[in-house]
Amino acid sequence: MFNKKMLVVSVEIIFLIFVFLLVIWPMMSLFIWSIAETWYWPSTLPQKMGFDYWKQALGMQQSLAIGAVSIVPAFFLSLMIAIIVVVISMLIAIPAGYALAKYRIPFGAFILFLFLMPNAFPQQPIFVNLLRTFTKLGLAGTVSGVILVHILVGLVFGVWITNATFKSIPPYMEEAARSVGASRFQAFYKITLPLAAPGLLASAVFVFITSLDEFTGTFFVGLPFVNTLPMTLYSSSGYNMQFASVIAIILLIPSILFMVLIQRVLKAEYVGGMG
Amino acid sequence: MEAKKQVRRKFKFPPYLLLLLPAVTFMLLMYAYPFITSFTRSLIGPDGSITFANYVKTWDLYLKDIVFTFAVTVFSTAITGALAVLLAVYLRFRRGLIPTILSGLYKIPIFIPFVVVAQMMNSFLAPHGLLNIALAKLGLINIDQPLQLFNFSGLSFGFIWKMVPFSVLIIHGGFQMIDDSYIEAARSAGARLFKIITRILIPMSKSSIMVALVLVYSQIVGTFTLPYMLIGGKSPTTITVDIAHRVNYFRDFGVANSLGVFSYFLVFFTAIYYLRSSVKKMAEAKPAEER
Repeated sequence: MFNKKMLVVSVEIIFLIFVFLLVIWPMMSLFIWSIAETWYWPSTLPQKMGFDYWKQALGMQQSLAIGAVSIVPAFFLSLMIAIIVVVISMLIAIPAGYALAKYRIPFGAFILFLFLMPNAFPQQPIFVNLLRTFTKLGLAGTVSGVILVHILVGLVFGVWITNATFKSIPPYMEEAARSVGASRFQAFYKITLPLAAPGLLASAVFVFITSLDEFTGTFFVGLPFVNTLPMTLYSSSGYNMQFASVIAIILLIPSILFMVLIQRVLKAEYVGGMG
Repeated sequence: MEAKKQVRRKFKFPPYLLLLLPAVTFMLLMYAYPFITSFTRSLIGPDGSITFANYVKTWDLYLKDIVFTFAVTVFSTAITGALAVLLAVYLRFRRGLIPTILSGLYKIPIFIPFVVVAQMMNSFLAPHGLLNIALAKLGLINIDQPLQLFNFSGLSFGFIWKMVPFSVLIIHGGFQMIDDSYIEAARSAGARLFKIITRILIPMSKSSIMVALVLVYSQIVGTFTLPYMLIGGKSPTTITVDIAHRVNYFRDFGVANSLGVFSYFLVFFTAIYYLRSSVKKMAEAKPAEER
């Protein structure tokens, strides 16, 4: 009996190590590349390691030998776009999520469909056609065009998460407030909104990360003039592995932080669209 | 503007219309309209006439890539489903330190954006990448003949790496809903683990498993980043890469859109399943009427 238990535990430990390597190892590849200054084949590890590429990326030094420019402008551009996208998306998503949660709506199925379809069908053809429309409107290759596309990607998640949040708040809370004389807006503002705050915050953070990491839409609508962080990563990945790895790690950090933050309120289906 | 006036008059205007108006308008203009034009524009030839020429060209040039996309997607989805069910079963039954560590560890890839996964796989799976170096150290391959992975197998590896955790999350959620008493009852009736899995766990959480598979499948069909950075313009490649080439190099929106319509067809059945089951789920959880 004792031996059998030992055997199970050792198999489990081997399994754990295997999963650990499978998850961590590709990430290690990024890390090693980001600090590799000289790495000639077939050496297992880089001959010379250091943080030159990190310093260069963060604008702390300017060396022509490394041949990569600072990512600070791209970082601030991505940040600015993400903040604007969060504000506009949430302003649109909160009322819609609330309405879908609290009212019986004629053509409700049609509206649900509209918000579900981006999950069910590939989104790339949408971006292709937006590029055509945006070219006519003078929005192609502009920050405004990229913001519109990011709102499209974020809004769907924003509406679903806020909708689920409002649904979880029992209607009698607002009804009680109404019955003691609060207006509909007061009841919402004083009762429902504070109760929904954690869910709404999670939804906002989600939209923020989605915008920060958005690639395909920006690729079609924004290139070559709007260089967000993922675009900079892409354009350097062909010839400058170190630099691309540095950017990849920088993009990884907010996502991992986010994971730690929203573990509790995590609804599996929403995270499917990440990246 | 008319809507606002009407609200101020005595006429009772449903409040949800105003709440929904911005979001629905945005989605109609930015999603529904381009969705419809991806069909209409695929039927317009270079000279502006209505024609099937784009489809003929797509069929001639890209049939191989359409088949490749379908094959990678089906293969990756199947492996993802199998691995996810196994891991979810393990997490459902085992208690203790190791499963606890694992349940934190396996989730990491969910949160890594596809563009980072693409860069990661690009360096990890390279001929001189960490995977080949390690396999050579273990004596499994000859370092002078590294595995070439910027193809079907590497692409599938990347998709599976990213998608298994997400599927486990959904499927494990389904397993958790099954009450222990069912499992105990089956056990006391003499059922072995395999029977419990195939007769109780899987049938009772069929809908979570299906949703996971459907979402994984449709996401893989539509993913651009990973194949673009891993395979790029080499042949065979995926539909998404071809669309980018058509648009970037030729400004050929006709063929790009007919490729897009082909990718819609690839997800046709999964999309219907997803939309139907989601709307059904919403209808079951009836919204509270506010008066």
